[in-house]
Amino acid sequence: MTYPTLALVGAVIALAAGLVAWGLAAARRTPALADTGASRRHWIAVALTVLVLFVLTAIFDNVMISLGLFHYAPELVSGVSIGVAPLEDFAYPLAAALLLPALWALLSRGGAERQRAFSQLVLSSRPVSWINTAFPFGAAYLLTTREIDWVLVLGFLYFLIPYNLAMYGINDVFDYASDLANPRKGGMEGALLAPRLHRVTLWVAALTNIPFLVLLAVAGGPATWLALAVSVFAVIAYSAKGLRFKERPFLDSITSSTHFVSPAVVGLTLAGAEFTLPLVLILAAFFLWGMAAHAFGAIQDIGPDRLGGIHSVATVIGARATVRLALVLWLLAGVAMLFTPWPGPLAAIIVVPYLLNCAAWWNVTDETSGRTNVAWRRFIWLNFLSGALATLILITEWTPA
Amino acid sequence: MEALYLAALLVGIGCMLLLDHRFRLFFWHDAAIASLITALGTALFLVWDVAGIALGIFLRGDSPVATGIVLAPELPLEEPVFLIFLVLCTMVIYTGAVRLLSPRASTKELVDQP
Repeated sequence: MTYPTLALVGAVIALAAGLVAWGLAAARRTPALADTGASRRHWIAVALTVLVLFVLTAIFDNVMISLGLFHYAPELVSGVSIGVAPLEDFAYPLAAALLLPALWALLSRGGAERQRAFSQLVLSSRPVSWINTAFPFGAAYLLTTREIDWVLVLGFLYFLIPYNLAMYGINDVFDYASDLANPRKGGMEGALLAPRLHRVTLWVAALTNIPFLVLLAVAGGPATWLALAVSVFAVIAYSAKGLRFKERPFLDSITSSTHFVSPAVVGLTLAGAEFTLPLVLILAAFFLWGMAAHAFGAIQDIGPDRLGGIHSVATVIGARATVRLALVLWLLAGVAMLFTPWPGPLAAIIVVPYLLNCAAWWNVTDETSGRTNVAWRRFIWLNFLSGALATLILITEWTPA
Repeated sequence: MEALYLAALLVGIGCMLLLDHRFRLFFWHDAAIASLITALGTALFLVWDVAGIALGIFLRGDSPVATGIVLAPELPLEEPVFLIFLVLCTMVIYTGAVRLLSPRASTKELVDQP
């Protein structure tokens, strides 16, 4: 196929889809096309958009081609050009103007309430924590392949946004029910997500996750499929009704840790890493660290959880035993790192602040467990420090391909 | 110099978002649908690009202003960023034109439209 044909196909598809979208919007009298003259304004605006984009394309396509950013197989282009920009290139802005505004006219609503709902949906995915799942993937993949490619970008984007939309979205939807049953918890801690947003949250989670999962599965082999399956299962099983792993002692900490370690494993399988003993040790250390973090975090909630009849590792074995369990897990994580090749042992230092932060509560009781919230807040800041330290160690390890 | 094209694209995207913010046109009018259109538009144009690359039409240059990082053969890192810019530019021009053509368009509403 030559460029003129490809350009025509693209423009025709955009025109057809744009007409369908506009037709639906006009028939439904969507907010964008509700009042008289709105359809006329839509088409004038589309024509103006085409005009402006054509002028911009004529200028900047010439600049970009002259700078040597890209060129075309000479035998596959029509030869008709404006300056050095082939006429076919104008199919891109034409298609953009024919399709995208029509979709906007069909779907956009506007209004403060809709904007609030969107912010609530985004905030429910904890944007401050997005990096915690994207970083393990990116680091694992990049340190194995040593180069940026589309799989890295795709996987990083997946574990940055859609993955967190699913993980926290499912959590907030299903916790809402248990929070309602527990009047003491209703206001402050739970009930983040208004019930009218529950359906849309689950839909957004599914629709944003599935395309990425399919593409990542295509990029990898059976090992990636297995890693992705474990990852997705852990995301769903943690809080979804019927499974509720977050309420099963010990399984709660294991599942929570899987949320952060599985992105790294997916990255490693996609990169075709060999699971050598040192690599397994690093993953084991990360996993133990994650379990410790979860167990320690559960201590502050012992009071409210028991009142609400919710089980966690901390409600079952008690505050003091959980503190000591977390200490052992963090210590084991540090010890595991000591057995990795240089500069791995340096990372053992990372657990020291966590051990100190946690050890201060060695004699905590169930009654005073709520006060560990102070240490939990400190823990969140420690993570930034550890992230920085881990990154420095990774940079030390880095030798470009 | 290698980052010049990428930097120019990012500045362009930033400028589009400033216009969007100032006149509440796209993300600042309906962020959910704006996100959807940006993601969908970028993805469709990437498919188009990949088709062109697979057919042997598009060839990457060896420009001094490009990072040289490729996401796939003949697909530079800058391309998806350019496509995001194209989508934003299209939508800001379109929504801006609709606003100007709207009979209720007054200076005040140009700014205060919810």
